[in-house]
Parts: sequence; structure tokens; C-alpha cells
Amino acid sequence: MRTLVVVDQAPYGNWTGREALDMVFSLAAFDQPAALLFLGTGVNWLRAGQNPEAIGQKSLEKNLAAAPVFGVSDIYACETSCRRFGLDAAGLAGNVTLAQSVLALINTYDQVVFAG
Amino acid sequence: MSSAPTRITLHILNKSPEHPRFHHCLASVSGHDALVLTENAVLALADNTITLPARCFVLVPDLEARSLTSLTRAQTTDYAGLVRLTTKYERVISW
Amino acid sequence: MTSLSYTLVITGAPWASQAPQSALSFARETLAAGHQIDRVFLYGDGVLLASALATPPSDEPHWPRLWAGFLGQHQLPAAVCIASALRRGVIDDTERARYELPASNLLAPYSIAGLGEWVEGNLKSDRVLYFHGSN
Repeated sequence: MRTLVVVDQAPYGNWTGREALDMVFSLAAFDQPAALLFLGTGVNWLRAGQNPEAIGQKSLEKNLAAAPVFGVSDIYACETSCRRFGLDAAGLAGNVTLAQSVLALINTYDQVVFAG
Repeated sequence: MSSAPTRITLHILNKSPEHPRFHHCLASVSGHDALVLTENAVLALADNTITLPARCFVLVPDLEARSLTSLTRAQTTDYAGLVRLTTKYERVISW
Repeated sequence: MTSLSYTLVITGAPWASQAPQSALSFARETLAAGHQIDRVFLYGDGVLLASALATPPSDEPHWPRLWAGFLGQHQLPAAVCIASALRRGVIDDTERARYELPASNLLAPYSIAGLGEWVEGNLKSDRVLYFHGSN
């Protein structure tokens, strides 16, 4: 059973991105196929060079970079949303695949879930 | 286009039409899918900028709360009807 | 009619969203229709539904007690995600002792569990429904 966890809320001001990452890592820990899709303002979680120390938070950059090691190798970002926020491939953290069609991507998963 | 089989899906949406996820949801409703509007999403019936999919249901208790029961753009249902809908679609996405 | 099994996940808090109310109305009709609820899982802000200290005005629905009553009446397993709960101050006796906190407040019959509970729900239940907040 393949699950896609979608992050469509902004980083740092909302916590659902972190909660989504916990969900996807839990699936992987139980050997369940899982992927992440960043959509809308959520794509900003993927911007390289985040530095949230001054606002008292930790960056997800390392967690996302380590994701394949924990069994989460499919990380997608909506191409339209990336364009909207001025994120080209160079500005994205490493192992992300741009998704041209969110609809087509969603249809390849048995479950599509949000953390909140 | 993906060659994966199209999965007929029930989409349950509780976000108001101004919430970004409202539009992500509607963009993901395919031909044979159904959409159920609950909670704040029922406001879509009063929003003349929104085109609803062909198979669209709306939860009556949420319409009543918001004084929108005179609007008829979608088929009305209740919680029992929502349960029935979830049994008819193999894939349910709660937006 | 085939009887289906459900896992219900609540991520919206009471009095900040309709999630607990929508979920309870749905849950009641699920059982009335002859289906089964395998488990209820509280995640994110939804964990506040399991606080024994919530004190709404007496003329308003008491969502934590309504849910606890429903769970008890039908003997349904219910868990609160530990990471979400600790952050938000929803604490059972074990965690109270572990962290030397002044009090515990986890409402019966909830238990504290990890996301593995949710994963199991995904694997075992025919349907997994989420009741999110509206923000």
C-alpha cells in the first residue's frame, strides 16, 4: 500500500510540515512505501540554505537530505508551485523530483494524506 | 500523462473556498470522482466564483449552521450519507 | 451490505475547529450502519481532545467527555500521539513521572502511543478518515 503525504503549508509558521515528515518516516520504519509531495507554499520547506536558529526552530534540510537512508526516496515538489515561489532546481535541496502534474502523481498512490 | 490506472476517489473537503487547499482539492477531482463539502467548504455553494464538479454533495448540518439551506447547487447529504459514500469509493482523500 | 472497518484520525482541536464534532457525528453513523471502528488516533492539535482539564461553559458540548463517553460505550481503542501530546501538555502518569511534571491529564480511555498506531490503522482498516482543522 503506497502512501503519499502532502505538505501544503508554509515552513516555520506552521507545524504540519514537520508532522508530515514524522508520518512519512514512520511509514518507512514499518517498511511501507511512502512519498512526500510539497505543494503550494509548502514547497518553501525545500529551499536550500534555511537558517531558523534565530526563531528557535530546527531546519528540516538535514532530515530531508537523510530521507533516502531512512527509506523515503520519493520526494516531489509541484513544479507550478516552485515556479510561483521562484524555486528552480538549483534552489531546491538535493533529492527532489519536480512534479508537472499533481493529479497524475496523486493517482499513483493508494492513500493521499495530510498531517493537518 | 501517467499510465497508472485512474482511481475513483471520494474527496472530503472541509476548507473554505479561500483556503489554498480548496483549490488543490478541486484540481484533483477527476471525471468519476465525487466531492463532499463539509464544514467551511459548504460556503462554496454561495461563492459564485466556484464551479463545482458534477458529482458534488454537501453536508446539510453545515449548511444549516451557516444559513445556506436555500442553495441547491449540490446534492444534500447527512452524516449517514457520508458514511455510505465512504463505502462506495475505494479511495477516500480527506483534504 | 459489507461491513467495513475504519480508523479515524483527528488532527483538529476542539473549540478551534469542527474536527471533533464532525468526527463524532461520523463515528456514530459508522457504527449505526453496522461498520466497525478499529481505532481513533489523535494527532497534532487533535490531542487536546484527550485533556481531562478542558472546561467549557456548562451549556456547551463537552467534546473531550462526549468523545470519551462514546469510546467507552463502544469499547473502541483510542490513542494519542506521544510527540504531539507531550508538546501540547497532554500527559499520562508515566510521562508525568518521567519528566517530573506537576500533573497528568490524559482522559480515559485514551492511551499514549507512537505513530506506529496510525501506520497499523493504515494497514488493517478498510478506510482511514481524517478530521483536520480548517486553518
